[in-house]
Order: sequence, then structure tokens, then C-alpha cells
Amino acid sequence: MRWLALIWKSLMRSKRRTLLIVGSLVLSVFTVAVLQSLLTTLNAVTDNPNSSNRLVVRHKSGLTQMLPRAYEAFLRQQPEIETVCALQWFGGYYQDPRNFFANFASDEATIFQTFREEFGVANLTEAQIKDYLRDGAGCIVGASLAKKNGWKVGDVVPLTGTIFPINPRLTIRLIYKSPKPSDENVLHFHYKLLEEGVPRMKGLVGSFWVRAHRPEDIPRLIERVDRHYANSAYETLTETENAFNLAFVKMLGNIGAIIQGITAAVVVAILIVTGNTMATAIRERTTEIAVFRAMGFSASRVLSLLLAEGVLLVGVGGSLGVLLANLAAGAVRGSLGAAMPFFADFAILPATVLACMTGALGIGVLATFIPAYAATRRPITDGLKAIG
Amino acid sequence: MNTDRFDLGGGEPIITLRDIAKSYWREELEIPVLQGIDLEIPAGAYIALMGPSGSGKTTLLNLLAGIDRPTGGSLEVCGHELNDLDDDQLAAWRNAHVGFIFQNYNLVPVLNAFENVELPLLITGAGRGERRDRVDQVLQLVNLTDQMFNYPRQLSGGQEQRVAIARAIVTDPDLLVADEPTGALDAKNAEEVLALMERLNRELGKTIVMVTHDPKAAHHARHQIHLEKGVLDRTVEVNR
Repeated sequence: MRWLALIWKSLMRSKRRTLLIVGSLVLSVFTVAVLQSLLTTLNAVTDNPNSSNRLVVRHKSGLTQMLPRAYEAFLRQQPEIETVCALQWFGGYYQDPRNFFANFASDEATIFQTFREEFGVANLTEAQIKDYLRDGAGCIVGASLAKKNGWKVGDVVPLTGTIFPINPRLTIRLIYKSPKPSDENVLHFHYKLLEEGVPRMKGLVGSFWVRAHRPEDIPRLIERVDRHYANSAYETLTETENAFNLAFVKMLGNIGAIIQGITAAVVVAILIVTGNTMATAIRERTTEIAVFRAMGFSASRVLSLLLAEGVLLVGVGGSLGVLLANLAAGAVRGSLGAAMPFFADFAILPATVLACMTGALGIGVLATFIPAYAATRRPITDGLKAIG
Repeated sequence: MNTDRFDLGGGEPIITLRDIAKSYWREELEIPVLQGIDLEIPAGAYIALMGPSGSGKTTLLNLLAGIDRPTGGSLEVCGHELNDLDDDQLAAWRNAHVGFIFQNYNLVPVLNAFENVELPLLITGAGRGERRDRVDQVLQLVNLTDQMFNYPRQLSGGQEQRVAIARAIVTDPDLLVADEPTGALDAKNAEEVLALMERLNRELGKTIVMVTHDPKAAHHARHQIHLEKGVLDRTVEVNR
């Protein structure tokens, strides 16, 4: 018999209790891992390094209000601005309303320059880009989206509009690969197609995405653009891309505080449950602990064995919880990644795994130490009731 | 039966108690349990500690087994003054020198007979092979080789106590302490266990100190020591 076998057998003395406590640990670690990863994913949305020199110009009253496309001319005149891309959320679906993904009508002439990191422009050929620019009914799609739907270049994608009364039939002209999976779940088509199909959109656009030459020019640009259109019929709200994304995340409420609150509640609850379970398990073994010590096991050795049981228990529970969270993350990426692109980046990162396992092991040590220490400090003769 | 005050025969003492006292405290109240115990037990003795409930026999057994400490006097067992040892040294000393036999066997229910017997060897530094050989030997001695992979719940009371005896002797201790070892057994099993203990004393030379209420069990010992209200009353040499 080895020490690990002794620890394992002691742990499995009450299989039902062990399975129940492992089950609650699995559930707790799973919940914490998923929630913390959600927070990490949302934070990444609002902290995209590629967007450090990009701005979003939209109507001050909200996203449903349009801006004149003529504003583009003023924006282009600003010396700090490298390029401007008109962009409109189309909100169409492919074949089935449940088959929803992000799709935009965008200015085909400037989109590759504005979002060059996201489209991996360095890896695209000029011929590929030209193919798209030449075909007014063409579209570009991310590799993940194309893979999910089995699309390839040349395929026709009929989109059914939900906001706008048109159903464009788009031919895939380019499939791009992006460093981030979330950026590969998007489809863009020519803005002209929207303008021509929807008369009320003639000369209007939902937003301009502006790329500045340098990040340090951004504050100055924001102030100048909004001041220029102040008190006009179409007042603007200019903000950094990260601030724009943050506004979306904030629609969910103070999600960070909610997640941290739930995490704290779960940690406290599992600490109490584990502590109570370990205390009961150790109390039931009072005589056995005394017998071990009578046989020559020192108090510190018995304490180590009991702590090892607690650590093994939470180690198993924590590992299974993390494993389950990883499986769930894969499922979330597959099912929600297309509809909500930031979910395509949803993953249980090593830092989250480390934090969860450290926390679980900390709970195991803390929950076991107090009853174990008390048990090993109890006089042997008290434990050996038969002798006492 | 031959009666003689505290004369347990010749031979080098394995246990020497000098003016041993033990009291318990209940809040401010001191409750003396043992007083002025002077006793020498020679190596190879087989002693039955007897006396009415509350006479201090179990307390005395606990003291000389090193699982309790006296409040006064000196206590030399197996060549060590136990008062000089700290808790960890005392634990190591017990592992090397004392084997325990309990009334309720106190086997670990999740370990089989082999693993229960192996337990005290885990902290001796013995290798796996050595441990296996030792466990095989003692299980053979208690005639339980064919039950070695059975768990305590699969053994009879007598078999459980024999496993407990095997566990007590697996480290080859000089001293065996037994607290009512037959208290939970029927007459037949009790007789088998007592016969086994007698063999351990006679053939292996183990010194045995046994607490018992049972005169039949005490009759297997070579000497009986009677305690009365915390003091030694008399010794009785058992003639068989």
C-alpha cells in the first residue's frame, strides 16, 4: 500500500458523501470558471489593441438614427484621419432566422484599410480584393463562418433582411482568416447594394468607422468632429471603438460586479459546504485518528494525511469542473460564436484555470485544516474511547 | 494461587514506574486517578491489570504505553524515560516499542486485513518488499493468511481481533498493551485470542500488559496486579 492509496481509500470511505461533495465542487468550479471567462471575454471586447487608433462616429441620439453620408467628406479632410469606412448593421439571416450571424453593408473601397488587422490583409492577394471590389453583389466572409456553413469562394449566399426590406443574393468573393476567431464570424457586402435596394437609406449611414494615423490624435479628433456637427440636424457622438463596444457590454448592466458577486457567493458557499463535510468526516474518525497516533503516527503526519485528503478531494472536483467548463466553452463557441462574434473568442484561459485550481486547493486546505488540526491536537486517550 | 505484594519475579525490568501520579482536572477540581505507583515489570512478563471500575487500571495502561503523561513521578519503559520525550519522539517510540490491542479491534474499515496490518510499517521506512514479508509472517502467525484480502466487515469478531494482534506485533515491539481484548468476543473466540496472546508471550517473549475485568482472561496472565482507588493493592502470581 502506498500513501496515495491510503489517502484515496480514506476519501472513498463514504462514497455517497464524497461524490456529493465532488459534485458540488465540480459545479462551483465550473460556474466560477465560466463566469470569469465570460468576464475576460467581455473585457477583451472593450480592450482590443487593434482598435487603439479607430473611432466610431454615430448619431448622438442612438444607433437607430442615421447620419448623412456626406459627413464622410468632412471626416476625410481631417489631416489626422487615414481612412473612413461607412458601415451599416444589416441584421440578415441565412436560410433560417436561428442561423443568425453578424453581417454589414460597408464601404467596399475602405473596409480593408480600416480593418486591416481583422481581415488579415497582409495575407490577402491583390487579386482576391479586386474580385470583391469588382462584383457589386459580392461579399466577404470570415473563415469560421464559411466553415460552419460549408461555404467556399463562388458560392451564393441568399440573405433575408430583418431590418431592411431586401433579400440580397451575395456571391462569396473572398474568405479571410483573422487572428481572432470572433472576427471570422462576420459577413460584409457592398454598401451600394443597400442604398440601391432601400431608397430611404440613400445618402444615409448608421456609422462611420474612422482610422486615425496615430492614437494620440484621437482625443483631438473626437472633440473636433462633435463640435463641428453640434446643433445640426444630425449631431454626432464620436467615441473610440473600445468605448463604443463598452456601451454594448454595458447594456447588460454592470456585468463585472454581478459576476464578481456571484463568484464570491459561490466561493463562500463551497467553503462552508466543504468545511462542514470535512469536519463531519473527520469527527466520525476521531477514534481512528487516535489509533493512528497510538500506532506511532505523529500529529503532524496525521494532519498531513487529512490535508492531503482535502486537497485530493478538491483537486478532483476542481479538475473535473475545469474540464467541464472547457467543454462548455467549446459548445458556446460553436453555438453562439456566429450570432454574437465575441463568443467566438470564449475560452477558459490558462490564467482562469490556474486561478480556479488555486482557489479550489485553497478552499480544500482551509476547509480541512481547522477540523484536522483540532482532531490531531485532541489527546489520544480522549479519541480512544474504548481505552479511556 | 500464590499471593505476594508487587513481586513479579526476576529479570531485567522493561517497565519501571517510580512514584507515578496522575490527576485529571475538571475546571478547578483536581481528580486524582493514580497515586504513588512504584512498580517494576520484567521483560517477558504477562500481566493482567485488574480492579474495579475507576480504580485507574486503564490510566496506568495508557501511561506505560506512552499515550498519556503522568502528572508526577518517573516512567521508564523499554529503556526510555518517557517524560523526556516530546510528542513526536514519543510517537516514534510507540511505533518502535509498543503494540496496541483494543477491545473493539479498531481496524480501519476501508483497508483490508493485509493493509491494516501494514499500517504501522508505513512510517518505519521499510520498503514494500520488506513490509510485504513482515505482514505475511504475522498473518501466518495469527493464522489468517487466507483472509488477508478481506475487509473488516467480512471477518468475524475473533478474526478481526487476530488481525488487530497481527497489526500490534508487525513492528516487532517489546511491549504489547491490551485493553479488554476479549471484551467484545464470545467465549470460543475469546479463548482463541487469549491462547494467541499467551503464545506471543511464551514463544516470542513479548511483554504483555492487559487490562481486564474477566477472571478467566486474567487467568491466562502470569501475574495479576490489582488496583484499588488509584493505588496498587496486591499482585497475584497465577499458578497453572
